Amino acid sequence: MKKWLALVLTLCLVLTAVSAFATADLLSREGVYPLNSDKTITWYSQDSHNVHSDFSDWHESPFHVNLSKQVGVNIEWVLPTTGADGGVFTNTLLSDAGTNIGALPNIMEAYFMNNANQYLDDEVIWDLTPYLEEYAPAYWAWLHSNPAYDKAMKTDDGRYYAFGFFREDGGWNDSYQGPVIRKDWLEECGLEIPKTISEFENVIRVFKEKYNAVFTSAFSPRFYQMGLSGAFGAYGNVNSGYLYEIRDGKVILAQATDEYRDWLRWFSRIFKENLVDTDLQTVDDTNVQQKVETGLSGIAITSMGQMNLWNNHMEAAGNGRPWIGIPYPTNDNGEIYSIFGGSGIGSITGVITKSADEETMKLCLQVLDYAYSKEGFLFWNYGIEGESWQMSETTGLPAWTDLVAKDTSNDPMTKYNGATWSGSCIQATNLLYLKNSQASIDANDAWYYLGMGRDTDQLDKILEVTSGHKWPTGVTFTTEESDELDLYNASLGTYVVEQCTSFLLGNKDVNDDALWNEYISGLSQYHLDRVLELRQNCYDRYLAR
Amino acid sequence: MAKQTAVINAHYRRLSLGKKITRDFSHNKYKYLMILPVLVYLALFCYKPMYGIQIAFRNFKVTRGIEKSPWVGMYWFEQFFNDPYFWRLLRNTFLISGLQIVFGFPAPIVLALMLNEVRNNRFKRTVQTITYMPYFISLVVLCSLVKIYTQQNGLVSEIVEFFGGTRQNWLQDPKYYRLIYIVSDIWQSIGWNSIIYLAALSAIDMEQYEAARIDGANRFQQMLHVTLPGILPTIVILFILRMGSILNVGYEKTLLLYQPTTYEVADLFSTYTYRISLGATAGQPQYSLSTAVSLFNTIVNVVFLLLTNFLSRRTTDSSLF
Repeated sequence: MKKWLALVLTLCLVLTAVSAFATADLLSREGVYPLNSDKTITWYSQDSHNVHSDFSDWHESPFHVNLSKQVGVNIEWVLPTTGADGGVFTNTLLSDAGTNIGALPNIMEAYFMNNANQYLDDEVIWDLTPYLEEYAPAYWAWLHSNPAYDKAMKTDDGRYYAFGFFREDGGWNDSYQGPVIRKDWLEECGLEIPKTISEFENVIRVFKEKYNAVFTSAFSPRFYQMGLSGAFGAYGNVNSGYLYEIRDGKVILAQATDEYRDWLRWFSRIFKENLVDTDLQTVDDTNVQQKVETGLSGIAITSMGQMNLWNNHMEAAGNGRPWIGIPYPTNDNGEIYSIFGGSGIGSITGVITKSADEETMKLCLQVLDYAYSKEGFLFWNYGIEGESWQMSETTGLPAWTDLVAKDTSNDPMTKYNGATWSGSCIQATNLLYLKNSQASIDANDAWYYLGMGRDTDQLDKILEVTSGHKWPTGVTFTTEESDELDLYNASLGTYVVEQCTSFLLGNKDVNDDALWNEYISGLSQYHLDRVLELRQNCYDRYLAR
Repeated sequence: MAKQTAVINAHYRRLSLGKKITRDFSHNKYKYLMILPVLVYLALFCYKPMYGIQIAFRNFKVTRGIEKSPWVGMYWFEQFFNDPYFWRLLRNTFLISGLQIVFGFPAPIVLALMLNEVRNNRFKRTVQTITYMPYFISLVVLCSLVKIYTQQNGLVSEIVEFFGGTRQNWLQDPKYYRLIYIVSDIWQSIGWNSIIYLAALSAIDMEQYEAARIDGANRFQQMLHVTLPGILPTIVILFILRMGSILNVGYEKTLLLYQPTTYEVADLFSTYTYRISLGATAGQPQYSLSTAVSLFNTIVNVVFLLLTNFLSRRTTDSSLF
């Protein structure tokens, strides 16, 4: 009975999220801003709004200064010192909450979701429920344009506490990495773009024979989060952030399924046959780039940004732009279970801390609300009209002016906008189109649309494959739950990652039942059963919201 | 003369504590002034933070602050001792540190002794400069070099292949991890650490060598019976200090070099502490637990320091206190 309920609820969730694809009509707040307040509020941002490297601090940065002018409130920015770890910086700031709450910035953008209950109960952040509709109508309308958004932004007992990050396109850009291939080699060898995992393996084999090249990837989020396990009906690879899979409404350990073992079998086999870069575990993006440019690899997993970089370097060396993205391989029946992706809702959120008195809090609400209004959406994504962007007559969409287009620094648009990476705002799909090269956009299309193209009507299938098995964004643990989980997290994660990497790279034989069973039975020592029970409870509460 | 000193000492001992201090202070005021900055440093950075040790006995949350976090007694210590990885961490930390002491500690002594025998000053200086150099390379760069050298097409593989072995990625193999760690450690620190011994060597009275030569000692015997005893007090003091940090194996180098397949031989108390606190990827940082682990670490270090000091006092004359 419970299982049925969960299934139905999951389906509802998947179906409701579908509507995320249509751009929601944003509420116009024309005439409301600037607010002409003489108050000053402080705003901290962990990773989202770092100042572009051309500027020494935020006073020089157009986005940071202009936002104050647009909303009509003085904003004093607090940003992590260059080179500091954002998470550590956030915790250092938060340590003031116990003794001197007034020292906290009024608005804080960081990772608050998992422990939202504790922050609310300890009175570190404001419960926004009674004020949201009145003081942040645009955000309120946005949340209610899609039940999936609303669900992610409140606690189990319905308390709203955060302004989230949303991708206008849904999960499209959450699938920003995947398999890539050298098109020129593929053509030279007379091969088609591989669709199934067998074809994929065949391409690796042919490239090995003909060019003595291997499959490679950086042992980083590029490879260790998902790999190609989806072709085997599995989820996740060897990373402690990808341990928990949702399957038919149940929370399970992804690295303990038979399907996952099939993935290990396949990969350890091709690794043993020297079809994979033997340095896999010690290489990062830079090493991979060197290997790729010297022709040591013709098929890899990487991100759209990295692929663009490879193409740029190869073009500069007179070798054309041979790298293209290809869809994640399916199993031999054409089915695929999961790929690297997400729901299009970020886990970084803006909250209002108790350093703001009620009046300041209401002001902060209006300041944050601006990003979700029709006018604020444009400013957050493109900057000021006529300065950094103008409407293109050909596409009818915003396009950069020369100020951005002719700027040769890295990601020049981040000087003027706030939505390039994340933040409490809605990221426009068009911004991503403007920011990335056509090959990168095509690659993202190939990954996200599972090779079916943009016009496909199988959006529910895409949603399930990209984010249906993933631990959802916005789930909140109770303080007791998170205390207990924190205790087990480190050891359990280390155990799974260590064991599975050993299987993956053949240090341990995955086909040996004795070794595999030893690994599986070892899991109970690390409190797996308790962890799954806690997570299941939490997930059920989330579904019931 | 000796009798006179004894009388003064006896007189001194009869003085009250307050008088002793004032007298000592007026006698040595400039020396006190000189150690003042160090005292301030110690008070600020070593003693003041000790206030925070109490979070090892509380359920500390950053947002609650120390005072408002409830006491939990020895809870975190129990959790840590019951952790499946406790014994592995203990073993690895002792092994890596032990190997560092067995091989890394004598290495600079041997280098210093060898340099002492070199008569060509130009050669001596060149060797010194070259061996110092790696010490000034940042650890991150050094570890990248180690990673590149140990790759399948790296320097190590080239050498091994030349001697008829097979290429592989050496750092990924748990068998070679400790070797790579210790060798790169010696490579980085040997020159720098030999400086203090070279200084001690220059303080040995030349007449002793002369006397040894007259007695018919050859170069090796001179080294054994004059040079080595001459620097022995320095060696002993440094050894005691080294034992006091037996569990302090730097986490930075391990973090930069280890891989999931080498966790088994590489994971240390310090890297574990880092992973559960500052490097926490999931959930909140475990400050209480990591403080408990570090406190445990410190207690073991102090025990070793006292033990070595005690043994040294019994067997040789040198000791810290």
